[in-house]
This record gives sequence, structure tokens and C-alpha cells, in this order.
Amino acid sequence: MSLNPLPIHTSRFGGCTLTGALSVTTHVRNTSSIIHGPKGCTHHNFSLLHATGLDNETVTLPDLVSTALCESDIVFGGEEALQRTLESVAERDVNAIFVLSTCIVDTIGDDVAAICSREYDVPVVIVPTAGFLGGTFQNGVSNALCAIADVAAPGPVNDCVNIIGEKNLEYEVEENYTEVTRLLDLLGIPVNIRYVHDLTFDEIGALGAARLNILREPALKPVGDYLKQRFGTPFIPSFPFGLSGTLSFVEAVAAAFGIDSSTILDKELQFQQDTLDGFTDLKGMAASFDPAMSDLDGVDSSTEVAKALRIHIKNPGTSSVSLSPGTPVGTTGVRRMLHRWRRQIHA
Amino acid sequence: MKQIALYGKGGIGKSTTSANLSAALSGMGLDILQIGCDPKRDSTRMLMHGNFIPTVMDLVRVRGEAPITLSEVEFTGFNGVRCVEAGGPEPGVGCAGRGIIATFQLLEKFGALKGDVIVYDVLGDVVCGGFAMPMREGYAQDVYLVTSGELMSLYAANNICKAIQRLSSRTKSTCRLAGVICNAKNQPNEEELVAEFAKRVNSSLIQFIPRDRVVQLAELNRKTVIEYEPASAQAECYRTLATRVMENTHFTIPTPLEIDELESLAYSYI
Repeated sequence: MSLNPLPIHTSRFGGCTLTGALSVTTHVRNTSSIIHGPKGCTHHNFSLLHATGLDNETVTLPDLVSTALCESDIVFGGEEALQRTLESVAERDVNAIFVLSTCIVDTIGDDVAAICSREYDVPVVIVPTAGFLGGTFQNGVSNALCAIADVAAPGPVNDCVNIIGEKNLEYEVEENYTEVTRLLDLLGIPVNIRYVHDLTFDEIGALGAARLNILREPALKPVGDYLKQRFGTPFIPSFPFGLSGTLSFVEAVAAAFGIDSSTILDKELQFQQDTLDGFTDLKGMAASFDPAMSDLDGVDSSTEVAKALRIHIKNPGTSSVSLSPGTPVGTTGVRRMLHRWRRQIHA
Repeated sequence: MKQIALYGKGGIGKSTTSANLSAALSGMGLDILQIGCDPKRDSTRMLMHGNFIPTVMDLVRVRGEAPITLSEVEFTGFNGVRCVEAGGPEPGVGCAGRGIIATFQLLEKFGALKGDVIVYDVLGDVVCGGFAMPMREGYAQDVYLVTSGELMSLYAANNICKAIQRLSSRTKSTCRLAGVICNAKNQPNEEELVAEFAKRVNSSLIQFIPRDRVVQLAELNRKTVIEYEPASAQAECYRTLATRVMENTHFTIPTPLEIDELESLAYSYI
């Protein structure tokens, strides 16, 4: 029974479990996500996914269907409403249906698994998403990634990696992915699948074929563990953050593939130096980090960058210039962050 | 208008007591409404001569709530007692507590909650907020606990005291413990034990109802004792209860006992 929330240090550790799970399921193409609950749970999430999708230049509308429970469904149980909705969605040409629960149906104890286990001529994947059980946005992401993983079976492994749990709602999702593939290219390692970012349901079947999983962030460790248990795939717990983080990431991936990375690391170090050389105008400036924007990973790597450029970081409020630390993924992430800092410092 | 609610352990005789109380009250020339607040829907059956009346939730389920009228859910039984059953979901699905809340809202909308006395007969324990509904929002002001001298029955009654204590401490609350009804199982010293229990929880024993075969006979004949054997001592007992309920002015905030205290109390009356 959930009693107290997780320690909160970023907004991803709050938020709605359902929204987290939908940020994953809506990225499986030609599938529908049924939200078993009152229609407001769907409306709110539709708006949010649509708006963030537009920010990332995605014009496809999220395919969400609500079982639209009302009071009589709560009193008599919502199982019939779920079955009706499943039957009607199954008549459409979708490759799979995801069923996500909400707080109220888990409160009244609807047997979602029993309804979903009936035959609908299309795969049905249940993602438990009742938020009041203590879950957060992050748990929703993890629950979805683990639930969908059961679709794939273990099989032969190739020299490639999976990208696990990209933050599909973040503004820089493509830039961050591109940076990771740039680093992988240096090592000559291809990406198997982006699990889950703009993927077909069939492609999920290849989930077990990678030699290594690269998680987007350390909070996805339960997903990494689950995939390791299911497919035997080892994982690197995070995308690279900051300068030294990027180098150690390259080192770790190379080690997993038994590649000698020394010359590649030298090259990357040089690229980092060239990048910093482009921002010498920031040297000796004074600024402070905006405490509202801070998360721990971000602050560490931002502090490192500031040190490298000899920017004096003061306590919040003591400097007129306030910088948003951000979480710079890889060296190009650092470069984008420095462009932002330059605008903030010269503003 | 007096609004009373009977609470107690499942199977302790709340519905039998409620139905006979309603029948006795109607014999005093009063306009009585009895509302069964239990998905089992058998509260008013003896008043309705063995018939299970359609429940509010049955109708909502089939038709939605808009077109339902009061005459479809309120039925007149023995001696003009008006009977309503809240009903609820099938066992094992849905949320019966929410069903009670929805029923109250509907009855409120119909203007059904009127008369001289409303008797709410509520499911066993107050398992969730929904079943506390009759004690909230100013519905039942007088709560009666029905118990025998058995420990588990006293335990349930004591638990309900906790709910009353919590609810009565709220500023707008008007619900109070009005007394304890002992529906006896023919244990030795039962009346003394339940009277002492009532005293300890800051209330009093309002009526001792002895165990009598006439109750079973009346039930088998699908009648209340008041109707089946009006001249019996048992019927007189229910009439006395009715008089005492109408004259009762002793309403308290209960002081529930700790389990050890309850156990040693029961032990001392073996």
C-alpha cells in the first residue's frame, strides 16, 4: 500500500502516472490507448500530448479513447464499459490496443486483466497507471515500458543498442537522440530500436536483439533491470550528461562492445575543447543558477561546464545574471546550453 | 421530522428490528419512511409481505436517473409504512458505498425524505464513507446501535461508535448516538453486559429485545411481529422501543472502548 511519495527533486517525480504511460504508448504507431476512467482523464491528457507534440513538430493526434465512466459505472463496476470500448476499438484497423487504468477503477477494483484477456483479434496490453497508488509520471513511463516489453520474446543478439525510455515530451528529444547516435557512430555501433519513440508495434518484437540497452536517465533503472531479466541485455543507466559524463559514456559503451576507445576519446575531448573555445566571451563572467530550474544531474554537469569556462557561479540571488542549468546531453548538449547562457548573460 | 439510523454487525437483526420499529411507529399514527441502505435489499421485505421491491439502484442501472419518479421506488407496505431500498451492485463488483450516496442524492431530488420518522437501516459495518452517508449531511440525527451480548457484535458496535465520534465532532454534524438496542441471543447476563457496554460508550440501553420464536414465525409468514402477532410480548417490546425512540432526548457523542477494555468487559459478564 502506498503511504508516502518518493523524494521529490524534479517535476518528473511528481505528476500523473497515466500521463507518463501515455507519453510512451502514444508513440507506438497505429495503436490506440484506451483510458479506463472518467472522460476528463482522457481530455486532459489529449490536450497535453497534443500540445507537446506540436512543440516537437508532431502533427499526429494521439489516439486516445475513453471508457467515459460515469457514476453508475462506478457503482455497478466499469467492466462492461471497458469491454464495450475494447470491442469497438478492435473493429478499427489498429495493430494493438493499450489499456490504461485510472485512480477510480483501481479504487473500486475493476478486474481489468480479466476483461483484457478475452479475445479481441488484436493484441491488448495492460498498463497499470492508477496514480493514487503513489506512482508518478516517471512510474507511468516505467510501467508502460515494462508492460509493452512482454510483447517481445528473447532471441538472437546483434551488435547494436536499444535506446530506452526517451523523454518523448521534452523539447529536445530529437537533438538528444542525434547526439547519442553521433557518439555511437564514433564507435561504429548502430541503433536497433528507439524503445519507445515513434515505433511500430511489430518493431517491438526486436527489443531483445540488442547487445546493450542505453537508458535515457537513471530513474529508468527498474526498466533496465526488467529488460535485463527478460532478455539478458545489460544496460548503461543514462544518456551522457555534460563534458566528463560524455567521455565516460563513450568509454562505457566501448567497453560493453570490447572496443578500444582511446583514440575516439581523444577526438571527443578535442571536440569539447573546440566547443568551449567558441564561448571564450563568457570567461570571467559572474552568474548564478536559477534554483527553480535545477535538477541534480543538471547542476553537476552545468557546474563542470561553468568551471571549464571560468564562469563564477554565485549563490542564487546574489548575481544579477540567472542561468538555467538544464541537463546537457553530450557535448552538443553542452554547446546548446552555452548558447542559452550567452543569451542570458548578454541579455 | 425525526430521522433515525440503525447500525450494527451483519446478521444481528437490524432489518428485523427496523421493520418492527417502523411498524410499531406507524401504529402510533405516524407517517413512516423506512430506507434500506444495503445492496442485499431485504430491509423492508417483512413490511412488504415478503416482496423484494425494485431498488433505486436497479432503476438507475436500467434507465439512468433522469426519468425515474418517486412512485417507482417508494412502495407502501404494512399500515402505510413507506418503503425504499437503495440497492446496489452485484456482490463483488463496483462500489456499493457510492451507490448509497447516489441514492440519497436521488431521494433528496425527489423530495422523498419527508414524514414524521425516517428509519435508515444500514449495512453491517460502516465499511467506507458511503455507508456513513446516513450519518452525514444532517440525515440521521439519532443513531441506534443494534447488538447482542456476543463479543464480535459488541466489537462491531464499538467500531461504529468510532465512526459516530468522528462524524459528530465535525462542526456541521448533527448526528449523535441515541442509544443501544440489545437484540438478545439468550446469553446469560446479556442485558447487564450490553447495558454496561452502553454506559461505557457514554450512552444507554434503550431496549432489551429478548430472543423469541415468534420472530422466526412472523418471518416465515412474511410479516413483522407487530402484524403477525400483535398481542405477543415481543410485539409489545417493539412498541415500547418505538415509544422510547420517540421520547428519547439523551443524545451523546460516544466514547469508544479500547479492545482490551471491551474484552475484559465481556469477560466479566460470563
